[in-house]
Amino acid sequence: MVEVERTEKRYFFVLVMIALTINLITLSPLVPWQGWLYWSTPTPTKVFHISISNYQFTLPPEGIVIKVGEPVKFIVTSSDVTYGFGVFYKSGRMLFQIQVLPGYSNEIIWIFDQAGSYTIRSTEYSGPQHSSMVIPDAITVVT
Amino acid sequence: MRMSKTPMTIQVLSLRYAIVAVVFLGLSGIEGLFMRTQLSNVSLSIPFLISTPMAAEHYYAMLTAHPIVGAYGWAYLAVFAAFYFLVPTLLKKPLYSIRLANAHMWMHIVGIMTVWCAGYFLKFGSLYTVYWPLPVARFSPISVVVFAVGLTLVELSVLCFIFNIFATVLKRSASDPLSKGVALRSLLMASFGLDTVSRFLSQLLGRRTALNGGTPGPGPEPLPVFVVAVMRGSIDAVLNAVVIAGAGVLMLVFALPALLIGLSMNPLIVDPLVYKNVFWWGLDMIADGDVLIWTAGTLYLLAPMLANRELYGEKIVRYVILTDLIVSMGVWSHHLLSDRPQPELMRLISGQFITWGEFFTMGLSFFSALMTLWLARPIKLSMPLKFMLLGIMGFGLGGASGLLQANYAVNLIMHNTQWVPGFHIHQMLLTGLSSILFAAIYALLPMLTGTGLKSNRLSNLHFWLWAIGGVGMAFSMGLAWRDGMLRRTLYPGVELYLPYMNAAMFFGIVLALGFLAFLANLIRTYGLRTLIGLFIPSVAKAK
Repeated sequence: MVEVERTEKRYFFVLVMIALTINLITLSPLVPWQGWLYWSTPTPTKVFHISISNYQFTLPPEGIVIKVGEPVKFIVTSSDVTYGFGVFYKSGRMLFQIQVLPGYSNEIIWIFDQAGSYTIRSTEYSGPQHSSMVIPDAITVVT
Repeated sequence: MRMSKTPMTIQVLSLRYAIVAVVFLGLSGIEGLFMRTQLSNVSLSIPFLISTPMAAEHYYAMLTAHPIVGAYGWAYLAVFAAFYFLVPTLLKKPLYSIRLANAHMWMHIVGIMTVWCAGYFLKFGSLYTVYWPLPVARFSPISVVVFAVGLTLVELSVLCFIFNIFATVLKRSASDPLSKGVALRSLLMASFGLDTVSRFLSQLLGRRTALNGGTPGPGPEPLPVFVVAVMRGSIDAVLNAVVIAGAGVLMLVFALPALLIGLSMNPLIVDPLVYKNVFWWGLDMIADGDVLIWTAGTLYLLAPMLANRELYGEKIVRYVILTDLIVSMGVWSHHLLSDRPQPELMRLISGQFITWGEFFTMGLSFFSALMTLWLARPIKLSMPLKFMLLGIMGFGLGGASGLLQANYAVNLIMHNTQWVPGFHIHQMLLTGLSSILFAAIYALLPMLTGTGLKSNRLSNLHFWLWAIGGVGMAFSMGLAWRDGMLRRTLYPGVELYLPYMNAAMFFGIVLALGFLAFLANLIRTYGLRTLIGLFIPSVAKAK
């Protein structure tokens, strides 16, 4: 059998405890969005279809207006290459993002907890014009 | 140094590889600095070559070449330099083919420069990720062909290296008691880490097992743990080379008909998600296989060498090498945590849980190296040791941030932000991997040339500037994540991120000064003529 010294055992135990703690915490509903992305699937009150083609977002013609606390679903599709769909606070900080694979329905449910205007930006490089894929104030969240 | 009179010893070969690696590090650094000036809105110009701010297509072409020059030009060639000397020396065997080693070095150089030309002249800019169908959908067929040919040449060179190393380990002398078949089986078992399992089972069951050859009598001596790590990493390098070269071939399949007969095929007949899975499975072998296990192997060699004592916990380390096989084959989904069509179970198990395997494999490797040093105190804080400790720190910082982003929940707010290239990639590659490679270079130079670098002052300057510059640049970039700055994105006219980017540029310059101190020391010690004479012997003879 492999001889393991006491120091190695203690060190290994510390590693196991760190791994368990971080994994358990981040999987738990202590991370707010884990509550609706992993532990339950709330029925969305609204569904927004967004398509992307040739570096251009096409948003729903009626706009995207959401109430604080209501679960909404974004369904994002691409007709050519892989893009990203990121939602950002007015300050620039990112709220969440997903990849948008062509040929797939890329879906996410989100519950906004702050009223305000949000920016949509592609978060995946899709060619030299990728940096221009931004729509300020694309989402309005109201109380 | 008299390498010019005996041009094809393994010492000269290793030095050639090391010099080319250092040149590519310089080239990658110049690219990096130009990109930093672009992100800081600073104008800079080299007449007839480049000026910033550059056009977006030029910036992204540079961003495509930069990691390939850095990873395959600097890191791979520095590793080849060390292993081409160390493996034959440790095994007391000649290298299988010095001619092959020399030839594929040139193939490697041509491959990297071809990739670089695809960016500089043809503006190929699909990034190193080459997400399907981006390369063939957005870039000219000729640029795709040139890039794919270059990439394939680099990967063929990697395969030549692996063949040469495996053939060296397998090479039998007349007095070798083992048959070729047993030697091959032993080598493959060692490479996959199965020799450790075999020994464990035979001890457990009190007899020899089928895994161990199934025949009574003495088996082959266990390979040194460093060599086992080299072979283990080589398995990953082969898989990586096959997948990346395969991606190159796929690009050629679509680009060549378009280039030659104007035939455009629908690229979406190749499923982007399947492609992404296969590509990341292969590409991740560089990061989670080669970088980690080859680095760990270098630590297993350097730590006992510097401490002048046996490696602490060597038996455990052999299990670590085996575990790393499972880990490196299964972690790729952490790159697909934000791909909602990717099955949730794969994102959770492969993306998050298996990735934590690296926490244990690297954690135990570092522990083993540090305990080896600790038990040998008092120990001289030599230059290789300083860089080794800096490297461990870099891997610690970069690895921890990598584990956070490879998290099912956290990835949602971190993916593709500056956190990834800052806290994780540059910390791992500059402070971590490059420092370990510098440690190996400082340790090996006296063995290869008979003399170490002349100036301690320049060496110390190199160390401190590299440490401050590397950590500072990585943190400056990574902190921009807080304000939502994305990676691979230009923000023309946006001032929000300038403080982060200016700090990153400052530390990038500090890093470059550290590199220049090393270069000056190298040239001052050996002379420019001698270094050029490694490649053109007539230059050294004319001295």
